[in-house]
Amino acid sequence: MTNLLEVQNIHTFIGQFHILEGVSVDVLQGSITVLLGRNGAGKTTTLKSVMGLTPPSQGQILFAGEPLQGRRSYDIAAMGIGFVPEHRAIFRDLSVAENLKIAERCKGDLARKEEFIFGLFPDLKRLIKLPGTKLSGGQQQMLAIARALVPDNKLLLIDEPSEGLAPVLIEQMITAIQQLAANTTVLLVEQNFVVASKLAERYVIIEEGRSVKKGLMAELVNDQETIHRYLGAA
Amino acid sequence: MQSTIPPTETGREALRLFKENRGPLAMLLALILFPFFVALLDGQGPTAVLNNEIGNARFLQGLLIEIFILAIYALSYDLILGITGLLSFGHAMFFAVGAYLTGIAFKSFGWGVGPTLAAVIVAGIVQALLFGLVLPRVKGITFALVTLGFASVFEIIVKSNEMVAYTGADVGLQGVVVPAAWLNTSNERFRLYLIVLFFTFFVYLVYRRFVDSPTGRVCIATRENEGRAQMLGYNTFYFKLTALILSSITAAMAGFFHTVHQPIVSPAVAGLGWTVAALLMILMGGIGTLSGALVGAAIFRLLQFYLERWFGGNATFLIGLVYVLLVMFVPYGVVGTWQARRLDIQRGRERLLRLLHLRP
Repeated sequence: MTNLLEVQNIHTFIGQFHILEGVSVDVLQGSITVLLGRNGAGKTTTLKSVMGLTPPSQGQILFAGEPLQGRRSYDIAAMGIGFVPEHRAIFRDLSVAENLKIAERCKGDLARKEEFIFGLFPDLKRLIKLPGTKLSGGQQQMLAIARALVPDNKLLLIDEPSEGLAPVLIEQMITAIQQLAANTTVLLVEQNFVVASKLAERYVIIEEGRSVKKGLMAELVNDQETIHRYLGAA
Repeated sequence: MQSTIPPTETGREALRLFKENRGPLAMLLALILFPFFVALLDGQGPTAVLNNEIGNARFLQGLLIEIFILAIYALSYDLILGITGLLSFGHAMFFAVGAYLTGIAFKSFGWGVGPTLAAVIVAGIVQALLFGLVLPRVKGITFALVTLGFASVFEIIVKSNEMVAYTGADVGLQGVVVPAAWLNTSNERFRLYLIVLFFTFFVYLVYRRFVDSPTGRVCIATRENEGRAQMLGYNTFYFKLTALILSSITAAMAGFFHTVHQPIVSPAVAGLGWTVAALLMILMGGIGTLSGALVGAAIFRLLQFYLERWFGGNATFLIGLVYVLLVMFVPYGVVGTWQARRLDIQRGRERLLRLLHLRP
């Protein structure tokens, strides 16, 4: 299998702060890879660097062999990368239907994907006319992911999908991400280790702006020392 | 008895359009009939309106034309600020370019209505492109200040003594004569009233369609969070520019009608105060609601007119007081607050009807 995304030793500054000091991540085509690490380690900044929101000053990012540096975020999105930011980044002034419709890259995208999306998130079909302001936190998170599924994205970057969700919704979210991963490669950031271990096949641990360890998730779950050392969780 | 004839596709579409716009259509019809109603109350016949006879009907048509022009101007500001989220302090320039260009074209160049209108539209596009030059580079308050800079330069030019032959400098452009008799506000008041009314209605419908279109939805998304809109693959610059061009042409058209109706162009329409007037109108009506711009324009002009009539020199203070009270107690504007509280108002009305035993 080939790498769909290759992040090679990137350094990113936000203002004068050196946030990423050498992060390398390989995402295999068709896989789910998770970025793990403590708060403030640089996981979200890595996703934002891929999207061109915080462009790296050194290193290289390749998507399907194409370099992403120097491209604007709208160009990167148009190449087939969907980003689901944390904090349920929907458009609250638009209805559920409008939030989905706005994500169309080609005419008819939504019509083609409707069945798949509403199959993953049946609640959204019921709430289709409701404005974003009236949705609960979980519904907003589902809408944010559903929106990234409307166009034909090759890669989905999902930041903290389980953040602030009730346990029953987390299970629903895990099932949804597993189903969508059948067609799309996923790179996600997840603080909840249990969720991460259920979802991902591969992991990359980021510590103080550096990628320090990577491998198969199946091996990590049995490696208590690494979990304690880098994630502080059992 | 229900009709057994199935409606055709065209018929269904017309019916849907009618149902969607029945409010504005009813308002349009009421405003067409309004001068006749006033004439009847005044003891004049309906022909008084058609014959342009002196009276309250003619006077109120003049006042309403001013309100319609303000409404077109306020709508244009609502599109860029309320819908797209672009704070411009130079919006007065969009209006003033249309007003001055019309005056200069009629008075100094002797142009007819057609070429003048074409020039106003072209000028509207050009000035929007000028603002668009800075769009990718500056955002938020910086954009507001840069646009204020553009408008200030324009104001200095129209007030400069070098331009006195064209703009009238500090005194303003005076004695403009509209070259078309059918557009003359003194002799053809009802015709001008209808033209400006229909144009206002047209602009309102076009804007509503724009807001409901895919482009309009991206404008709303840009207002809410530009970064998120870009992450979906939209180069928001083009959407902001589209809104600016549409807004600029509309404001310039408002300026055109302003000069046609009041053949004096004061340099005040090029100043910051005129931009603030647009802001006040949409704040009072409800920012981002479009219909709020129409309501705000009516409140703005009627307050100004009646308070000045009743209190003379003290009116300015009272107008200011009313603005402060409106912002304090109706913070989302008349339409905005109504939309936000529609459910509460509906529940309150039902409770009242139950109390009065008019509903079980």
